Amino acid sequence: MLDSLSSSLKDALKKIAGKTVVDRAAVEELVRSLQRALLQADVNVKLVMQLSQSIKRRALEEEPPKGMNLREHVLRIVYQELVALMGGAGKVDLSQQTILMAGLQGSGKTTTTAKLARYFQRKGLKVGVICADTFRPGAYKQLSTLCAKVNVPIFGDPAEKDALLIVREGIKRFAETEVVIIDTQGRHALEDDLIQEIIDINEIAKPEHRWLVIDAALGQQAAEQARRFNEAIEIDGVLITKMDGTAKGGGALSAVSETKSGIVFIGAGETIDDLERFDPDGFISRLLGMGDLKALAERAEEVMADEEMDVNAMLRGKFTLRDMYKQLETVNKMGPLKQVMSMLPLGGMQIPDDAYDVTSTKMERYKVVMDSMTSAELDDPQIISGSRVHRISRGAGVSPEDVRELLKYYRVMQRALKGMRGSKFSMQRMMKRFGKTQ
Amino acid sequence: MFEGLKSKLQNIQKKFGRSIEEAAGPDVVVEAPSPVPQPEAGRPAVVPDTLSSATVPKPEKKAEGFVAKVRSLIIERELIISEKDIVEPLEELEMALLENDVALDVSDAIIGYMKEDLVGSHRKIGTSVDTVVTAALRGALLRVLGEGFDPIDYVRSHERPVKILITGVNGTGKTTSIAKMAHYFKKNGFSVVLGAGDTFRAGAIDQIAEHATRLGVKVIQHQEGSDPAAVLYDTVEYAKAHEIDVVLADTAGRFHNRKNLMSQLDKIRRVMKPDLVVYVDEAVAGNDAVVRAKDFNDLVGTDAVMLTKADMDPRGGAAISIAQTIGKPILFLGTGQGYDDIVPFCPERVVDELVGAEG
Repeated sequence: MLDSLSSSLKDALKKIAGKTVVDRAAVEELVRSLQRALLQADVNVKLVMQLSQSIKRRALEEEPPKGMNLREHVLRIVYQELVALMGGAGKVDLSQQTILMAGLQGSGKTTTTAKLARYFQRKGLKVGVICADTFRPGAYKQLSTLCAKVNVPIFGDPAEKDALLIVREGIKRFAETEVVIIDTQGRHALEDDLIQEIIDINEIAKPEHRWLVIDAALGQQAAEQARRFNEAIEIDGVLITKMDGTAKGGGALSAVSETKSGIVFIGAGETIDDLERFDPDGFISRLLGMGDLKALAERAEEVMADEEMDVNAMLRGKFTLRDMYKQLETVNKMGPLKQVMSMLPLGGMQIPDDAYDVTSTKMERYKVVMDSMTSAELDDPQIISGSRVHRISRGAGVSPEDVRELLKYYRVMQRALKGMRGSKFSMQRMMKRFGKTQ
Repeated sequence: MFEGLKSKLQNIQKKFGRSIEEAAGPDVVVEAPSPVPQPEAGRPAVVPDTLSSATVPKPEKKAEGFVAKVRSLIIERELIISEKDIVEPLEELEMALLENDVALDVSDAIIGYMKEDLVGSHRKIGTSVDTVVTAALRGALLRVLGEGFDPIDYVRSHERPVKILITGVNGTGKTTSIAKMAHYFKKNGFSVVLGAGDTFRAGAIDQIAEHATRLGVKVIQHQEGSDPAAVLYDTVEYAKAHEIDVVLADTAGRFHNRKNLMSQLDKIRRVMKPDLVVYVDEAVAGNDAVVRAKDFNDLVGTDAVMLTKADMDPRGGAAISIAQTIGKPILFLGTGQGYDDIVPFCPERVVDELVGAEG
């Protein structure tokens, strides 16, 4: 479904690309497919309508900057408007703080609480967790099991029914602790008693942060829920959970716009380390199901600054392991692997969906292998002989097969790059991107 | 639940009515004896065809057709609704559906049904526009909601133990729903055993065991991290040995795009051979509800759906979306935190509530 959607978006863009002047019909078609993409991603209907109005207006009124084609011009507007909507990443500081977690039932508060504890612990802070969920059976057990795995102290009492009492004592207990995270019971906007309870908890704990946990699959209801939570305790950050499913997280945008806050973290996986800082670009790519918006926007900025595009040596066929290393590094920073892969010159070969899990670990390993190579080897992989392979494999702690596999991958890439030369593919843009990380 | 959608739909019904009425235009003029062809103006050329086939025997040609049309206008006072007349209210209906979390594809389908039903339909001037619109909307909604499902009847008419396997993604409320279902079946005079098949999530076994204690039913459990298929097999064996009526099997939440976890679920299904696979999702889910409902249905099969957290959301769009996408009945709605907060789902009652009873 998503694939057909992003392809309709791409078709609409293609139509614009062929034009020399902005064509109202083409812009309208683009805006329509954009609307569909966003609605499908659960972005609030009203937000979508506002957004598409201003995109339409700007696309028709603003002149494209010199040197930029229409497609890029329009895409840049789309990107900028989306970024404006998202309001950037929420602030997370590594100082003494108390964090109150709020959210609907089953949105993933408890799991995320443990992940956050782990996050701050890894940053070298002393963390304590308070379990104020006195309602759901097994909640204390769940949190204590998770926290025990990473040696984070937890305060709570499965037999106590008064959440306020637990919070009061917990705050006392963790007076010396740098980061205190309070997990609360799930509640929703229409449960007045529970809303009152979290208001009370908020008053007792006086937390520095009050974060709202939003399930990526949450639909149009997100705005309403966020509004109510915001009225109650002034939400200052939004966490999106379950981004490892297929949901796009558009509901979180409604929450951000209701609470005038930013997205702080994204939870994407079942283990305690699966928590990432929010990255607006990865998020936009996911919303629209296409990967190259930011690159385009960046290229646009460059064109506008009248900078000369320097033609990379790689395009002339010189592609070394060093370049590949940078490429892999970039890949790591770039969010959803699937979209990254669609940008990599793999000769348009189809990669099965379940290959991605393997591939991301493999890329890590490739980097480790390359760390064990000498400069000469990185610049000229031809010289890597059998004995060098053995040395590298010992240095990196991998098997010689892994090293050979890496070299094979390198050769595939090199060939793909050569084949790409001259074609109007996004190579220039891609190379530019690699250049940036130098 | 459904409150939001209800008020929206009623507004839009009025809109439809108005547009159609406007298209019909000179309602009053028709009363005059001269056959003024005014009402034609707003309608496309298709009209004569539809009419001639509908009201006059085929061989007669244009002149006759015209006479027939005039006759139908004057005597039978029939109007034909064209697509143009309802474009605007249809668009508004689509927006209303989307705002209420009906997935995009599904709202497209509803709009399609409405169009199919309304365009070209004849309306006697005497009958109210509302009746026509309401009937079309009822029809479209009933078509997507499908038939209901009576769980009590099902258990009665099947060989015991009836094995019910619960599936779904993380955090939709599977374990809580199992507790509610157990309570519901128990209240209706059936004996129940629970299988603690979520051996993955920390605290899940404690959660279901606590529910079992409170409800006074038996739970079969292994340790955390053990093979869920084995736990559930044991549960079924226990039920057989003790002549229990209903087995409710919990599973760990999993995402439909995790291949390993989905094949684990498939294995569970092969081992315990459930009579019913109930897929649990939440009423507040947006468009993704459709994607994952479809994947669960494709990969492990779904026989019925339970929709949770219906009290959170007065809209209820997800119910419509899921039902339309996988074509499976909705079994229960979860409507709160208590064991009694579970309601069997009856599509007709819901539609009645949404658009007003048929009258």
